[in-house]
Amino acid sequence: MRNLVIFLVVLLFGVSVMGMVEVKISGWPGNPIEEGVIKSIVEKFNETHPDIHVEWAPIPGDFRQMLITQFSAGTAPDIFYVDTFWFEELARQNMLLPLDLFITKDKFDIDDFYSSLVDAFTYKGRIYGIPKDFSTLALYYNKEIFDKYGVAYPTSNDTWFDFLDKALQLKRKGMETPLVLAADFNRVIPFIIAANGRLVTDDLNTGIIESNSRFALKFYLDLVNKYKVAQEPANLGAGWIGEAFGKGAVAMAMTGPWTLGYIRGQYPDIVAKTGIVELPHLINKATMVYAVSWSINRNTKNREAAWEVVKFLTNEGQKMFVEGAGVLASRKSIATSDTDPMKKAFYDGATYAIPWRVPTPSGIFSKANDQINSKLKDLFYEKITLDQALNEIAENYLSWVSE
Amino acid sequence: MNLKSKTKEAIAGYIFALPIILSILIFTIYPVFAGLYYSFTNYQPTEVQKFRMRFVPEEAMMIHTGIFLNEGDVSHEDVAAVFDPVDFVLYDVGVKLNDKQIEAVRKYLDCEELIEDFLAGNLRKEMSVADFMKKYMKAKSNLFKSYVPDFIGLSNFKKMLKDEYFWISLKNAFVYSGVVVPVQTLLAVLLAVAANMKIRGRKFFKVIFFLPSISSSAAISMIFWLIYSKPGVLNRLLSYVGLQPVDWLNNPSTALGAIMVLNVWTTAGYFMITFLAGLQGIPRSIYEAAEIDGARFWTRFWRITFPLLRPQILFVSTMGIIGCMQVFDQIYFLIKNMRNITISYYIYKNAFEYHNMGYASAIAMVLFLIILVITSIQRKIVKEEAYF
Repeated sequence: MRNLVIFLVVLLFGVSVMGMVEVKISGWPGNPIEEGVIKSIVEKFNETHPDIHVEWAPIPGDFRQMLITQFSAGTAPDIFYVDTFWFEELARQNMLLPLDLFITKDKFDIDDFYSSLVDAFTYKGRIYGIPKDFSTLALYYNKEIFDKYGVAYPTSNDTWFDFLDKALQLKRKGMETPLVLAADFNRVIPFIIAANGRLVTDDLNTGIIESNSRFALKFYLDLVNKYKVAQEPANLGAGWIGEAFGKGAVAMAMTGPWTLGYIRGQYPDIVAKTGIVELPHLINKATMVYAVSWSINRNTKNREAAWEVVKFLTNEGQKMFVEGAGVLASRKSIATSDTDPMKKAFYDGATYAIPWRVPTPSGIFSKANDQINSKLKDLFYEKITLDQALNEIAENYLSWVSE
Repeated sequence: MNLKSKTKEAIAGYIFALPIILSILIFTIYPVFAGLYYSFTNYQPTEVQKFRMRFVPEEAMMIHTGIFLNEGDVSHEDVAAVFDPVDFVLYDVGVKLNDKQIEAVRKYLDCEELIEDFLAGNLRKEMSVADFMKKYMKAKSNLFKSYVPDFIGLSNFKKMLKDEYFWISLKNAFVYSGVVVPVQTLLAVLLAVAANMKIRGRKFFKVIFFLPSISSSAAISMIFWLIYSKPGVLNRLLSYVGLQPVDWLNNPSTALGAIMVLNVWTTAGYFMITFLAGLQGIPRSIYEAAEIDGARFWTRFWRITFPLLRPQILFVSTMGIIGCMQVFDQIYFLIKNMRNITISYYIYKNAFEYHNMGYASAIAMVLFLIILVITSIQRKIVKEEAYF
């Protein structure tokens, strides 16, 4: 009798699996909270869609490389994350399925998404991904430390000079390192834009050697070397900026909403002491926007099912994501109902933020990014002067961004 | 079958050896030659799938022309007016083409028939790019069967000459080997001599010395990251003698040295085992004779032990050079600065981050030649001989 029951159960299960379309979705695991939310989104999808079965298969480690390797072997997932930073590279390699037809056929409300985010995933007039969510940079500060030294809190209206002044006051009153900074080019970009500089010239050569950009770079480096108010996370015993802030090693940090999720999980007692305001400005207000899309593999066997999944992920899925993981909604309709006060500065930044995507002749910026970061590292340790670095960049930039 | 017993035996032998022969052919011989071939091409792994990719021609036509069939009557001329064969194949079918293929598409793509079929609704079925090209190319459709990288001669090698980071990473690999190989060899000999002496707990020491080489290099890298980081253990110790803390791994002038120390520590124990085996092969009688003649410990070490270990020293230094020139994992885990990378890490970067598989293969070939030359010179200098 028991055998018969088991047999029937197995038979039923087998039959139900056979009629289903398998869709594999993939991304990087993120923090445990984020991954938990994705898993529950997938569960909900599978409950409500009996004909499609979604499997979440995250790739830890270097996602982009793994994805490209899998794609070359023809085993890449049907749907995956694409970061603006390397979006164009994948689009040019014809790895992504254009979604325009699905959007028109289904009357998908693409206008509900922030247009700068949709543009970030558009190449040659075709949309290759629906923005999953986005992040901007803002200034975190630790109220307790500011209170302790009797310095006024940073505000969203602070200029660079207010910002520097507050850091110097903290330093003078005995705080060893008020600020944590990374030798990362993308973190310098808001300063370049704020100083009215530009990343690339009209003919796609580098714009960071021009005088406004140079001024911004100099200010960024002076925070480390001249005023000595900032250090790299590694020098503070932390692996990254968010950890340095969470540990209370610094009073200020410029980072994204992912840090908020992180400190809520890892350093809950610091959350109440945290204030978040927009980045300091100069001529312009500026911040970075990092966005990730759900894109469909051009080589997928189940394009229709994959599109169904993408629709769910960017609608109900996004709602769950925004509530659960504390990310920012890429849909305006969901963003307006997101009332978390800690996220205000990030949403405010979205109006003037620029995407982390540097246009190049070859579509590839990662090599130039490595080289510029390497120079920044040298500059942080005063191995070379700013002029030397800029000269080398000017000389070699085009060879870094062409194939 | 009437085979001779000798033939039978040979066949049986080959069958036994087949698994290893096959695995060497597939995983060693083939990659070496494939790498050699790719080093003269612009091979791009992402393009391997391009002609096998499946797509719906009707969708590609709609995206290309912006004309939707359900919107009413569309004439052949309407479609033809906005149809550009090269753009269509490049961006909407979505395959990268070389100049020859672009030329072929321009000349031979059967636009008439394609548009006819589109209007008749015959393009709804999903098909592979290769099948599509076969159907609609009037000629030269064999150019679109499968991906063949372009042969670009010596361009990859010429590019290397001008590549600043090729030279930096090559220099780093040489400096690294130049320091690590002698130090680790000498240290391994000393450890082996120590472990070979009759002292209490030598088994324990052997285990301790050998342990690093069987630990995961990721784990070791993490431990050393803790030791070397600015608020780490090493700086704490140095501060007791009044030295300023140094960020060992981030500072471009100390990073490579820090990795060298780490590597010597991990590999010395492994090579110690080789030397231990060598030491045990040296007859006691030689030492006894020397002792009777009044030779002290260090004299015995330099005059007897060291020369008699020559075959092992050759082996260890050869393996050491091969390993050091190819050092990758610790660099990958711990080094963030391009100034301190080594050549095999640069190969990896080119292959998997910059998508220059051809260029990466070319550098790999150069590295292979360098190692080949060094080790053959080494074999010439240190003759492999047995003394007893």
